[in-house]
Amino acid sequence: MNVVTGLINGAISGATPILLAALGGAYTFYAGVFNIAMEGMLLMAAFCAVWGSFTFGSWVAGVLLAIAGSLVLALIFIFFAVFLDTDEFVTGIALNIFTLGATTYLLRQSFGVKGVYAGPGIDPIPSLNFPLVAQIPVVGPILSGQNLMVYVAVLATIASAFLVFRTRFGLRLRAAGYNAASLDSSGVPSNRLRAYSLLLCGVLCGLGGAFLSLGYVNLFSENMSAGRGWISLAAIILVSGNPWGVAIISLLFGFADVLGLLLQSYQVPSQFTAMTPYIATLIALYFYARRQRKERDYADA
Amino acid sequence: MGKFLNAALGIVIALFIGALIMLAQGYDPLASYAALFQFSLGSPYALATTLKNAVPLVLTGLSAAIAFASGPVNLGQPGQLIMGALAATVGGLYLDLPPWLMIPVLALLAMAGGALWSGLAALLRQAFQMSEFIVTLMLNIIADYFALWVITGPLKDATAYSPMTPPIARSGWLPEFGDWNSAIFWMLAAVALMWFLYNRTRAGYEWRMGGQNSLFARLGGCPVNRNFVLVMLLTGALAGLAGGLLIMGGPHRFLRGLGANYAWDGVMIAIVANNSIIGTLFYGLFFSAIQTGALGMELITDVPSEIALVLQGVLVLVIVASREALHKVADRLAVRRRAADAAKNERAVAQEIERG
Repeated sequence: MNVVTGLINGAISGATPILLAALGGAYTFYAGVFNIAMEGMLLMAAFCAVWGSFTFGSWVAGVLLAIAGSLVLALIFIFFAVFLDTDEFVTGIALNIFTLGATTYLLRQSFGVKGVYAGPGIDPIPSLNFPLVAQIPVVGPILSGQNLMVYVAVLATIASAFLVFRTRFGLRLRAAGYNAASLDSSGVPSNRLRAYSLLLCGVLCGLGGAFLSLGYVNLFSENMSAGRGWISLAAIILVSGNPWGVAIISLLFGFADVLGLLLQSYQVPSQFTAMTPYIATLIALYFYARRQRKERDYADA
Repeated sequence: MGKFLNAALGIVIALFIGALIMLAQGYDPLASYAALFQFSLGSPYALATTLKNAVPLVLTGLSAAIAFASGPVNLGQPGQLIMGALAATVGGLYLDLPPWLMIPVLALLAMAGGALWSGLAALLRQAFQMSEFIVTLMLNIIADYFALWVITGPLKDATAYSPMTPPIARSGWLPEFGDWNSAIFWMLAAVALMWFLYNRTRAGYEWRMGGQNSLFARLGGCPVNRNFVLVMLLTGALAGLAGGLLIMGGPHRFLRGLGANYAWDGVMIAIVANNSIIGTLFYGLFFSAIQTGALGMELITDVPSEIALVLQGVLVLVIVASREALHKVADRLAVRRRAADAAKNERAVAQEIERG
């Protein structure tokens, strides 16, 4: 495997959790929910994945529990922000804080360790090899041999684009965000669509979190989502939720990740190379703000 | 009245949920809570420790509360705290002044460090319209790695095993009076000053108006952009001061993971206090009591001290929910009363008409 292939594979791995979380957030974005709980959902899912995989000795159980854990947070969000009508921003922050505390506590409680758990009993999510595809020159080693969750993320992107733009559900979802009152008056409760969008977000963040702790690495560490939920939020805002756009932006963040690793081989201290995804987010925000400003100026003129 | 009811209700429900969690895992909740408050409030020494631990919580809480109440979504307290602590550490390593001068100078450096970091976010907002919400979050992580580089690279204590700086000059250590660390006075002074600034001055009034209705503030002639930058700088300085006092009052050096313990506490406290300054002091002390007492509780009843984090998270959720629920109940009562009044009026009018 040559260097370029390695870089691309690294970028794909780095992009996958962000892509899955951002696709989930895209549904809530379209439904008009200001959802910032992706960070917490990823973290909860990452913990539940390790716990399930360790306890039942199977990655399938890990993934299922990850989805369940993330869904619990989605249900709390629905109960608060949709049912009780609390402030979405405050609810999201409260959920993220709660998750950080709960996973730290559970890590200590279930494995008796502080900080990191990386035992041998954690069953990782397997990679898929397609013997025929792997033979193809150049792209073979990229198309084949990726982690199962990478293929799931690709399918999720296609499915999301179809669901949002080509189905009645997608139309209603976008209507809930665009003009909730007119959707309500046409007989479809917009609150129900908000709730559905949060559940979908829970499932996708569950998959993303499971990849984080059972695919990307094979361990759980405190606060291991490390801002990926926030980066996914930035990705959603940058492309206004479009699933294809989200996929491209996530890949760019994946490349920023790899760029960091590359810089490390040029004697740049690892603390600086670790900053690259976050600096990339700032740069992306700059271009987004510039485009917004131009559009505004154009509308004013 | 509603505020106290809400706080009392929220705390009781959160402690109750915490008790259920402990029960479910086979611990004795009553003995655990008794130990928790014994070790945080039960003796002068415990109380002094709780107050000292409250300093970073209250100051970052003030930072978040003032920012949120005035409009800017400054979520950068963790990063600003780190930069403030770093600035105070650098000052403490390279300066050596008499204590009466050294301590204020280090505090000012810390505030400048925090304000620099929040000012960067304010600059990006003013120059490029980049939302301070995500920018401050990203700057938090960047500050974290930057501090890690400083203490593993240029300022590493060569004699230490893990990354940390050498201790700062003795003259920069905050004096202690028995068990009472003078960082507590800094905290109380900051609360008093901020309360006065926010409730009794024109600047504070403008900021509050800006937070409640930015269009009204603009139409009323407030310099909205300038106020935005001022609030960002002030709240950054408060978080930076928290970091500086942490260095000067506590370990007297920058240890690895210094900021991580306080990552979201300020935002959390501001949220449960509903951005009130007195409320921030109260909840800051309460959160500190839980965190401080949790370590003692672990010794007595084996409940992992991390339960404090769960209690805090539950408390935030419960208080937010009960606040909205109380609002809803109050709204519904008001609607019902108004409907009753309207019906009475209507009947009166109808009787008038009947009588001719």
